[in-house]
Formats: sequence, structure tokens, C-alpha cells
Amino acid sequence: MTAAPPILEVKGLTKRFPARTGETQSPLILADLSFRVAEQEFLTMVGPSGAGKSTLLNIIAQVDGASDGEIYFRGELIEATNATALNPGWNCQIGYVMQDDNLLPWRTLIDNVTLPLKLQGRYDDAAAARVETLLRATNLTGFERYYPHELSGGMRKRASLIRTLAYDPPIILMDEPFGAVDAQTRGQLQQDLLRLWNHGRKTIIFVTHDIGEAIALGDRVLVLSRSPAKVIAEHRVEIARPRDLGNLYKLDGFGDMFEAVRQQIQ
Amino acid sequence: MPAVVRTYLDRFVVLVVVIALWQACSVVFGTIWFSSPWLVLTRLIEELRSGELFFNAIYTLKAAFYGALLGGIPAMLLPFFLRRRPVAGAILDPYLAAGYGVPKLALAPLFILWFGIDLEPKVALVISIVFFLVFFSTMSGVNAVNAQYVNVMRVCGAKERDIARHVVWPGAIPYAFAGFRIAAPYAIGAAVVGELISSNRGLGFMINSGATDFDTTLVFVALVTLTILVVAINLLVARAERWLLRWRPPQQGLSSRVTGA
Repeated sequence: MTAAPPILEVKGLTKRFPARTGETQSPLILADLSFRVAEQEFLTMVGPSGAGKSTLLNIIAQVDGASDGEIYFRGELIEATNATALNPGWNCQIGYVMQDDNLLPWRTLIDNVTLPLKLQGRYDDAAAARVETLLRATNLTGFERYYPHELSGGMRKRASLIRTLAYDPPIILMDEPFGAVDAQTRGQLQQDLLRLWNHGRKTIIFVTHDIGEAIALGDRVLVLSRSPAKVIAEHRVEIARPRDLGNLYKLDGFGDMFEAVRQQIQ
Repeated sequence: MPAVVRTYLDRFVVLVVVIALWQACSVVFGTIWFSSPWLVLTRLIEELRSGELFFNAIYTLKAAFYGALLGGIPAMLLPFFLRRRPVAGAILDPYLAAGYGVPKLALAPLFILWFGIDLEPKVALVISIVFFLVFFSTMSGVNAVNAQYVNVMRVCGAKERDIARHVVWPGAIPYAFAGFRIAAPYAIGAAVVGELISSNRGLGFMINSGATDFDTTLVFVALVTLTILVVAINLLVARAERWLLRWRPPQQGLSSRVTGA
């Protein structure tokens, strides 16, 4: 997989928050952060809470600007440091699933899922069929006409996931998408995500503070330091796919890798 | 007994008590000051039959309705314009605040000077009240837009126009409704005050002519009619709101069926 050309390359990314009045030092969130993601790779990034993981994804998704550094998408330089020239989602090439489901409460599930396709003028029969498949794969069939407040937390998460999958961006950023659900739902969601990913094989950058989740899902785990964030370690996960997440913990090497990452995060 | 039935029963008891108190007042102080429930009811039917009440009520409703539309619609649209033009918003802000602060009823004589004594000055008065109530309410809705929704929508291809239509507008609608709900009784009130000052028709005119003729019953007929109208309008607005905002999770606790609040 290392042979594949990187779909995304981040070079020397730095982010400073503006200094508060009265303080000379402006806090550094990201310090000279660099990494590459290969086509169709499932990259997970794990780091302590408050390390700047969300800031990193916001910058890649172009909803926030960087202070310094470069981002290349398939070899093309993406504007990152000029906040006014940002192009959120880079022409729908970069999808972003945030921590909160952010479903629009005034639209039904199906209207939420199909909205990106409609906005992009791509909602045709093929797209509708694709949405149908995704709904079925995530057990949401039958709930299309429900409003978000009528759905469970897990269902909303799945809906927010397939809202992005439905318009099929080549790369998807995920910011602790399964953070706020109970452990059982979370396991189910992880399994769903892996199954969907196995179908379509897109590039995913998945950020979490849960070490087990990072190892269980990823092809490769990057360990981020405490703020200011930089990449301090890299682990290649050799567990074969498709993975049975329920029994992953019994596999050789899982415990060692878990322990190694835990030490590095300290 | 189910709680709902119980509530309705208790409400009915309150109504009976109020009417009894009214009756007591008219016995103690005389019908010249308080009329009486029975006198008012018979007169109400009489005025309805003659078409007089209907004619006057329609006139008042017309002023309130036109004013609510002409004041309310621009008040709902202006926040969307200002959202994209923060500089214009900053310039206008103190003037809008000042406009909100002006006691509108004090403008009535001026409107009569400018627009005469027909419907126009009453509509102008209603506009001046409804506009600010709906504007500030809608503006706070536009300002309260969830930045995450905006980001998510931008990432998946929404243009500024799409954001306004799919994120800001639906989010601001509940706030606009809150403004209209508050404004509705004021709109009727403003129309009536306009008629009190100078008019030859409308429920305000009925009140005025009743009072000058010592015809207390007529005054009460107009007041009862106004009360029924305001309650009915509130019910309609609350109904429309519940339907338009059916995407909202049910509100906690007992909400008033009249104000919907």
C-alpha cells in the first residue's frame, strides 16, 4: 500500500490561535505536522483529548485556515493559509463527518441524506439507488420519513455517515464520529463502518482518542502528541480484513500495540 | 377523571366565577357602569344580526392584517440581507434599536395627519409595531444559526444561497413565529387605538361611540369581540406554527394552547 501514490499529503502544517489581548504568546495548536495518506487507505490518528485533532481535520476540510504549511490533494496544492480563499470540502472531494451528527433537524432522514447530492445537482436514479443501498446496509430502511429528533443516537450517527458516503467523495475525514454513543452501539457502528468501507474502499482519515478503536479500524495508526500536535509515532496494523471487531482483542500483537501507543501518548 | 377533562372543567368554573363577579358588579354599581353579562350577550346577538358588529370587526381585522403583512414580511427578510452585510447591520443597529424603543402609539396622531382618517393611518401604526417585534425576533434566530450546520453544508457543496435557504431560513422560522405570536395582540391593539383616536368605523370606533353615549353595553360588546378575536388569532398562529415546525421535538411540560409558548 506504500507504493500507492498519496491522495493527500500534509507538509509542515502549523496552526496558531490568535493571542488573547494582554498576552504576547499565541498558543500553538499544530506544530510542523506532516503525514501522507495513500489512496484507499484507512488511516487512524490517535491522540490525547484537546491535542488539536479537530483543528487538523478542520484545516484539511477547509473550514479553518492554517498559519503555515501545505496540503496536497492528488499532487495539487490546496490553499490552506489564506482563510478568506478557503474552499470547504475542496469541490466536494473531501468529505467530513464531524463529532456531532449535525443532521438538519427540520429535514427528514432521507432529506438529510440526499441534500448534498441535490446541492451538487447529482441526485439522479443511480444516486437514489445508491442511497437506498446505504440505508439498507445501515438498517435505516423504514425510517426515511422520520425527523432526527425521532431517531436514536446510533441511527443519527449512521445517517450522518451515509450522508457523506452517498455523494462519494474520494476522501473522508472523520472526527470521533462515534464519540457520544454507548459502548454497544459504538461497536455496531464500527462494524458498519468497516463493512461500508470494504464495499467502496475510499480513503479515510479517522481521528479518535480511543486507542483500541484506532487499531481496530485502521491500516495505519498515527500517534499525535499533546498540544501542540505533531506525529510522534506510526504503527502499521497487520490484522487481516475483514476484521471481526468483537474478537480483535484476543489476537496476537493487539495488546502489544495498544500498550505501545498508550506509552507514547503519555 | 382524566387530567385533561379536569383542566377543562376547572377552566369552565373560572369562567362562571368571572361572569358571576361581573354580574355582582353590575348589581352593586349599576348597569350604567358595568352593563351586565346578559345585556352584553343579547346586544352582541343584536349587533351581529344587524351586521354592524361584523362590519366593524372586519374593518379592525383588515387594518391589523395588512399591517402585520406589510410590517412582518420585510421584518423577516431584512435579517437575511443584514447577515451577508455586517457593515450595514452595524450601521443600522442603533437606529433599529431606537425605532424599537419609540412608543408607537404616540405616533398615531402623526400618522393621522399624514394619512387621513381611513384605513391607512391604522395600517401604518400596526406596521410600526409589528415590524420591530418580528425583526428583532427573526434577527436573533439568524444570529443563532448553528455554525456546525453551516460548515457541514459548505463541505458538501452548499453555496451561500443554499446555506440561507436550507440552514438559516428554517432555523430562523421558529424565532419569526415567536415574533408574530407576540405581535398579533399588539397588531389588533394598534388598530383599535388608531380607531379610538379618529375613525368612523371599527371596533375602536364602537368603543368610543359607546363610551361617549354612556352606552356601556356597546363598549363591552366591542371588548368581548376583541378578546375573542385575539384568542382566535393566537390559536390560528399556534396551529400554523405547530404544523410548520413539526420537525421540532415536543416541548417539555404543559404549553399554553393559546400562546403556544
